[in-house]
Amino acid sequence: MKKALAAVSLTAVAALALTACSSGSESPADGGGDVAAKPLSIGNFLDVTSWDPSLADIGFDGPYLSAIYDPLLAIDGQGEPQPALATDWETSEDFLTITMNLRTDAEFSDGAAFDADAAVKSLDYLKAGVRSQEAYRNVESFEAVDEDTIAINLAQRDDTILYYMGLGRSYMMSPDAIDAGTLAETPVGSGPYTMGASSVPGAEYHFDKVADHWAADEFPFDPLTVTPLSDATAMLNGMQSGQFQMIYGDKAGTDLAPDMGWNVASGLATWVGLQFSDRAGATEMGKPLGDLRVRQALNYAFNGPEMVETIAQGVGEATNQVFPVGTPGYVESITGEYAYDLDKAKALLAEAGYADGFAVTMPMAPPFQPWQAIIEQTFGELGIDVTWKETDFMQYMSVAPEYPMFVGVIAMDANPIATVQRQIAEPQWYNPTPGLEAFPEVQTQLDTVLTAEPGDAQIAEVEKLNELVTEQAFFSVWSQSTNTYITTSDFEVTPVTGMMFPTLRQITVAG
Amino acid sequence: MFIFTLKRLVSGVILLFVMSTATFFLAHAAIPDPTLGLLGSAATPDAQAALAEKIGTDRPVLVQYLDWLGGLVQGDLGTSWKNFQPVGAQIALKLPVTLSVVTFAIVLSAVLGGLLGVLAGLRPDTWIDRVVKAAAVILFALPGFWVALVLVMAFAVQLQWFPAVGYVPPGQSIPDWLRSITLPAISLALGAVVMIAEQLRNAIIQADGQDYMRTLRSRGLSRPRLVTHLLRNSAPPSLTILALMFVGLLSGAIIVEQIFALPGVGPLTQSSSQNGDIPMLLGITVITVVFVVIINLLLDVLLGWINPKVRVK
Repeated sequence: MKKALAAVSLTAVAALALTACSSGSESPADGGGDVAAKPLSIGNFLDVTSWDPSLADIGFDGPYLSAIYDPLLAIDGQGEPQPALATDWETSEDFLTITMNLRTDAEFSDGAAFDADAAVKSLDYLKAGVRSQEAYRNVESFEAVDEDTIAINLAQRDDTILYYMGLGRSYMMSPDAIDAGTLAETPVGSGPYTMGASSVPGAEYHFDKVADHWAADEFPFDPLTVTPLSDATAMLNGMQSGQFQMIYGDKAGTDLAPDMGWNVASGLATWVGLQFSDRAGATEMGKPLGDLRVRQALNYAFNGPEMVETIAQGVGEATNQVFPVGTPGYVESITGEYAYDLDKAKALLAEAGYADGFAVTMPMAPPFQPWQAIIEQTFGELGIDVTWKETDFMQYMSVAPEYPMFVGVIAMDANPIATVQRQIAEPQWYNPTPGLEAFPEVQTQLDTVLTAEPGDAQIAEVEKLNELVTEQAFFSVWSQSTNTYITTSDFEVTPVTGMMFPTLRQITVAG
Repeated sequence: MFIFTLKRLVSGVILLFVMSTATFFLAHAAIPDPTLGLLGSAATPDAQAALAEKIGTDRPVLVQYLDWLGGLVQGDLGTSWKNFQPVGAQIALKLPVTLSVVTFAIVLSAVLGGLLGVLAGLRPDTWIDRVVKAAAVILFALPGFWVALVLVMAFAVQLQWFPAVGYVPPGQSIPDWLRSITLPAISLALGAVVMIAEQLRNAIIQADGQDYMRTLRSRGLSRPRLVTHLLRNSAPPSLTILALMFVGLLSGAIIVEQIFALPGVGPLTQSSSQNGDIPMLLGITVITVVFVVIINLLLDVLLGWINPKVRVK
């Protein structure tokens, strides 16, 4: 949350860590080349949650895990899966089998060869992992077809599995280390680095470069260090004193960047607004929200562009959609659909029979307080009597969905189908009961999206779904916030929506 | 003294039991479903159910408590719900960092505070006394985090004498270890230095006016011997404050560790609170209580050694 608030929107400095290969193409890195080494010390916002990829978070674990482990699939700035240990892949006509060809020149740091059996063992392990299982919920089985080919057999079509795998859910681990159950303490992967002996857990992780790694040239960072530190000022101090070459940025760092000659890269990360958890009006308190006019009124009532300027200090994009601005699924033509109009909001409430407003209780926790005053003021204008139920952030996630609506700062995905599933179709902590049965039109369009031919046809259907849920005022979105990364002039970063901190593959040497 | 020590140990065990039990139930009441915080924004009902089963929160709270208490009795602080590593091992990794900084800060406070306090106390109403009193007011009023930031900007960013962030273990390099903890320790110690100095100064002036000091002077004792007597009688209040400060600085270190990005217990406490990692919070509570008990016990022994009159029978 703090990160979202602190983020800034400046031009993203884009340079792909992997070369621009489309799905099915050969991996760019076949060794060779002669790239000058550059020291890279990264100030990351959080410590690694676990060195065991099945237990790790995607969020801030990217730079740690991508040093030690190679993924089957990586991801580019647009959220498209890219080759890594899997050189190419093909989805069957019935969408129930994905066949992947694997590299034959990768080796784990314990000397074991990477092959189809090792890949299947890792995937089975990831499927059972408490945190990694989200990527494989539709997988029936993994199968080694031959020494360098695997098949992923799906119980039902899954258009997001490759995206989640690329996002950080397909790191391959040494079979012996999986059996030994020691990955959390001693990570063993086939990645471009191994853990340095001088690493201090929680303080500073040093990585030793693997000279004969199959993509060694893509990782010219040597020495490589990642330091977890959750204080934005400390990060900036470290950057100013030359201890870091890359940090998670905030407004202060962004403002300082031009004078220091630093590069700044920003990527959309979260949407900010009101999440209607009872948009069907099933509960007594949520009954008004069951009326489309009330939900639309709550969209007209908030001045998103002004909130970006005043609350987010000009950082972010004012919009009314949950699809990241400018990505497939986002519809530019409807961004003005709920342009600020308080009179219209009042009129809609009056039409719905709430001319005098209504009473509602909403949860409130410290990270959301910046928006509390504007909500009170706006609701006051509409006659809505809001009672705040104060809680802490931990509680907030548990209790927020118990109220008909709440302030949400909710993570977005680069992949449009993942957005459809997480924001609209499937239960999430912020949307435990999607309630689509009350919106047959939306359900029908959702079914169309999920059965459409992947590609342009499916994106067109996603856009229709987006238009529909926007028209139905499924949310009251005010803006989208960004994550920002600051590097010295030697490096460039490609932010990926859905990933709080980039992996090493999204970091490149400038020029 | 043995009986006294035993009693203090028994009361320490009771304190530990009460504190950990209270923390356990308060934490569970405050975080009824930790799986959301642990899984983050990508939490799905399936993942939550799987995690609840793995960490055992699908069992009644009382069963969880008895399970945890049984482990504690055997010296097992449990397993982190965030990264599934043993709590004891993780605290053991972080504790030396916090103890390094806090101990360094206490040593600085004792030495500098003691020196300034003695100088001011032995020469009341002189320029040095006035400087100490003025410094006490100013430094005590300055927020610790602000002092830390100023120190970083001056000595790390501008002069680059010390690292702005990070920690080097003494096993890697003693000079680098000292460099990495100097600014944090100074930030922590400044308030304590002036408090010790002020306390000691007042105690010395007060003791110096007592009848026994007049008697000692009349017997013609040398100046050094007089000062020794003076210090023996003035030191106990300052030592008590120093001991209390050690405990206080353990919690005060949270902010300093954050500013200097030191991987101590502070950031661990903070992240565990944010994530809802209850076993880790309980482990930190237990270790803190153990420290409080040990420090108080050592203080009693030390006071008795310095001044036999205060020994507990």
